[in-house]
Amino acid sequence: MTRAAPLRRRAGVAPRVALALVWLALPLVPLVLWAAADRWSFPALLPTAWGLTGWRQAADQGAAAALGRSVLLGLVVAALATPAGAMAGRALALHRVPARRLVEGLLLAPVAVPPFAVVMGLTTLTLRAGIPGTVALVCVLTVSALPYTVFVMRSAYTGYDVGVEEEARTLGAGPRAVLLRVHLPLAAPALATAAFLAFLVGWSDYVVTLVVGGGQLVTLPMLVGALSSATGNDAVVAAVSLTAVLPPLLLLVATALLARRGAR
Amino acid sequence: MPARSPSRRALLLLLPAAVPTVAVLGAALTVAVLQSTGLMPVVGEPDPTTAGYRALAGDRALLDGLRVSLGIAAASTLLALAVGLGTALLARTTRLGGRLLRAAAAATVPVPHLVGAAAIGLLLADSGLAARALAVEPGDFPPLVGGPWWVAVVAEYAWKESAFVALVVLAALAAGERELDEAAATLGAGPWQRLRRVALPLAAPSAVAAGGVTFAYVLGSYDVAWLLGRSYPEPLPVLAFRLWTDVDLARREQALAVAVVTTALALASLLATAALLARTARATGRTAT
Repeated sequence: MTRAAPLRRRAGVAPRVALALVWLALPLVPLVLWAAADRWSFPALLPTAWGLTGWRQAADQGAAAALGRSVLLGLVVAALATPAGAMAGRALALHRVPARRLVEGLLLAPVAVPPFAVVMGLTTLTLRAGIPGTVALVCVLTVSALPYTVFVMRSAYTGYDVGVEEEARTLGAGPRAVLLRVHLPLAAPALATAAFLAFLVGWSDYVVTLVVGGGQLVTLPMLVGALSSATGNDAVVAAVSLTAVLPPLLLLVATALLARRGAR
Repeated sequence: MPARSPSRRALLLLLPAAVPTVAVLGAALTVAVLQSTGLMPVVGEPDPTTAGYRALAGDRALLDGLRVSLGIAAASTLLALAVGLGTALLARTTRLGGRLLRAAAAATVPVPHLVGAAAIGLLLADSGLAARALAVEPGDFPPLVGGPWWVAVVAEYAWKESAFVALVVLAALAAGERELDEAAATLGAGPWQRLRRVALPLAAPSAVAAGGVTFAYVLGSYDVAWLLGRSYPEPLPVLAFRLWTDVDLARREQALAVAVVTTALALASLLATAALLARTARATGRTAT
């Protein structure tokens, strides 16, 4: 009896796991198929002519330049939000913070304020002050990314042993050596995760870029939006969409590998 | 908490994150409130007025937008919670299946919502993959994209946010469920009892938090509803953007009024979540003792 129960449970688990996997993967299936389709007339379940027309059209639409802009935007947001988040995360985890609840609520506040509302308010101001729109764009996206970096780093520093830094100091290491040789290597996996999430905020954004740039600044999501709001573009929409999915997916795998190496 | 660290150092460490957050949110919301109440007009002299809000309240667009925004956010959140919680509880029962589910859930994180929307469009449109697989003629296929029930919009949010819920819950369960689960098993608890008494109470706070974040996010998100929705009624962010881009500059004040209303709703939903979390924490505390 006791032995049969887990066996019966296991037999029921496999189909449910398969169902959950289908749910998570299914939306990406038409993207992959369309990106490899030259023609896919209606009732056919698979493309009627395979080919790379979508990718050629994507290149003609300036996907390469859009990719460059998206990478740059993601990197700038990550470069700004990661160190700031790490410092705040360390303060929250390891220091006595006055009015802790208030500070934490404040750092989480960007989650509660819709980005479209923030950017509409801020561009009204930057337009009057003559500040370039890209500055407003980077400011809004960096602030949107901060809650992720702060709270990833806080949980990382919660399990962090400051004693190691003190030992290094006792052994004669200066503040610079402690930071470069002890602190940063230990924090590296969490820093990678935080930077990845911050990168995604810049990389995935649509509405903030739309409001700030009015369609002038063409990032990958802007291109996806422009192409997919018209009909008959399915192959090129799929190609540009995959261009917007694959780089961060590879980055995710790299981050996971780095985290695993760090854990060892 | 090591009390010996001076709090001045903590304040210095907090500044690079706190200052931009306060400056950007403070400036943006102040301007939104000032401009939507006529105190900071696009042209002319400041003149305090509630005309923007009154015009919106009189126009059915805001009420219909509220209704449809809340409906989409509630439906998406409930589906994401049900599927995400189910996936997380399933992932912890098998080793291989758990690893596959974790990887698949993590793989959806880097998909931009707009790309997810484009993909759902290719899946659920009347000539999409679903219609082909079911061999339904486009004329007979239900209007999932751009239809009256916002099915494609809710499906996209439910899809991506269910993965988010699953990841958050799995991270919370990883913190110590295995020991408790094994202890309960040793004490003779069956799988159902362990699910109800160990896994669910441990998962509940993280699920509530993830649900609250999802609801606030969907409420304030523009891209998916814009691409997969219909032209009327418009969810609040879509309404705000249409007013924002109107040639009539007075409409900008109304756009900011919609932004203020949406922010208030998102903020209220997260405060409600925090209150619910405090209650869940107390309830879980009672179960544990």
